[in-house]
Amino acid sequence: MGNELLRVENLTKRFGGLCAVDCFCGTLEANQIKGIIGPNGAGKTTILNMISGVYPPTTGQIFYKDQDITKFQPHKINHLGIARTFQNIRLFQNMTVLETVKTAYSWRAPYSAIETLFSSPRVQKFEREIEEKSMHFIDMVNLKDCAKSNAQSLPYGLQRRVEIARALASEPTVLLLDEPGAGLNQTEVRDLVELIRRLFIDLSLSILLIDHRMDVIMQLCEWIYVQDFGECISQGTPEQIQNDPIVIKAYLGEEINNA
Amino acid sequence: MDLIEIFQQVINGLSRGAIYALIAVGFAIIVNVLKFSNFAHGGVLGISAYAGYLASSQFNLSFIPVVLIGMVTGAIVAVLVEFIAFRWIRMQKGQLVYFFVTSVTMLMLLEQILVIRFGSFFDTYPYDLIKVKFINIGELSISVTYLISLAVTIVAFGLLIYVFKKTKIGIAIRAASNDMTTTSLMGINTGMVIIAAFVVSGMMGGISGVLFGISTSLSPQIGQVVVKGFIASVLGGLGSLTGVAVAAVALGLIEVFLVSTIGSGYSPVVIFALMIAFLLLRPQGFAGVSFTDKA
Repeated sequence: MGNELLRVENLTKRFGGLCAVDCFCGTLEANQIKGIIGPNGAGKTTILNMISGVYPPTTGQIFYKDQDITKFQPHKINHLGIARTFQNIRLFQNMTVLETVKTAYSWRAPYSAIETLFSSPRVQKFEREIEEKSMHFIDMVNLKDCAKSNAQSLPYGLQRRVEIARALASEPTVLLLDEPGAGLNQTEVRDLVELIRRLFIDLSLSILLIDHRMDVIMQLCEWIYVQDFGECISQGTPEQIQNDPIVIKAYLGEEINNA
Repeated sequence: MDLIEIFQQVINGLSRGAIYALIAVGFAIIVNVLKFSNFAHGGVLGISAYAGYLASSQFNLSFIPVVLIGMVTGAIVAVLVEFIAFRWIRMQKGQLVYFFVTSVTMLMLLEQILVIRFGSFFDTYPYDLIKVKFINIGELSISVTYLISLAVTIVAFGLLIYVFKKTKIGIAIRAASNDMTTTSLMGINTGMVIIAAFVVSGMMGGISGVLFGISTSLSPQIGQVVVKGFIASVLGGLGSLTGVAVAAVALGLIEVFLVSTIGSGYSPVVIFALMIAFLLLRPQGFAGVSFTDKA
């Protein structure tokens, strides 16, 4: 496959005796949205953590553009073009939205620490560029009016957008979204799906999306992996997944009973 | 005390407090990033104070170059301390208490290096480093040394605020202070951020060492003034640099007034008693964010 970006092979993570992820295999191609679905504790976030470098897998390998990135440090993986958001929003305290977004973009500015001290025109020029570029990403998620507000004082739904803007600011090829719909109400989820779709098209991103909410996943993804208790029990298009008896038994069945 | 005397003490207190603020902020930067109390900062301060002393007594340099030499020395020593003492513990993901114990050990080690080189006597900066000693305004006579210390501190703080608010390095240090993992996931090399934090902290430590050396006297134990930085960091709330600076100035003022009323013997007793009381009442400090784990 020519345009395959991300490939994971037999990804396994054990925490002590607990096997959080067992032999997960999957791929992500350019300009594709794939999803991983599964109930809480199915190992979805663990997969994202391994891909983004928070911790290495116990066994298995991760390839990005055919390069083995399994043991790379998180910032290296980010530099290659993989950015992410978090299920439990992880914004920085005492930072404005603008500053938060700057964190992910500003490391690119090619000025040295010594120059910083003298605040040379070069430094000022780069810092202006960083600011403009960061505003551009903030604008992309429709938060322009909040750019100067403290990021953590915003409503939950908007904080999600700040996280997305921060992830975009590292100009990724692959975006990993960890339960972007968590804690949002129906309207907010609708806006979010809209936003993700728009970013996907405008920035020609490839997105790996995790959620336990069917509506988010079904609306966005063209291919879905179903995780249950660390194992990948099924994969396919949304239609295939919705009609797969194993999935219905393991996951949807529960939901229908609850509803 | 009459009014003149009070005014005089306020100036003394402010200048002392300003130096404490520099010490405390240098100390607090490392607390924020690595979450442990870095007493080796005292050693950095001590070595820089003597570096400034050598520059002025041996090479007859004037005030501003001496301060700059102190600043550069501070940065270099701080990075060396990180490299020699803390890096390995970081790589092993060691517990905070190991960092803490190592930092106290480094303080003692650096002190001993000073004892070997300079003996355990008191030295003073050359008398004519600051030519005019006092400005007299009516009955008031104000120490120029104190005024200059105050001015240098203000400049240093201006620089610090600029770096933290406006540059990529400052933003990265602030982000790493908050959440190291997320920071590195955003593409920031946290190893470099930690070195940058030690550079900035060391620069502050270097300047404060020279200023403290000039306004008092030098002994190899000069680094122990880092305790004042520690007190101010705790009082100010370890998460907030502004809170720390305010607490340090307050500490300077209180100390000067205590020394002039109850004497220098009892003054530390009162200050530590106040600190204990404060910790019981408001452990997160004036402006504090509370840390769950600190050593």
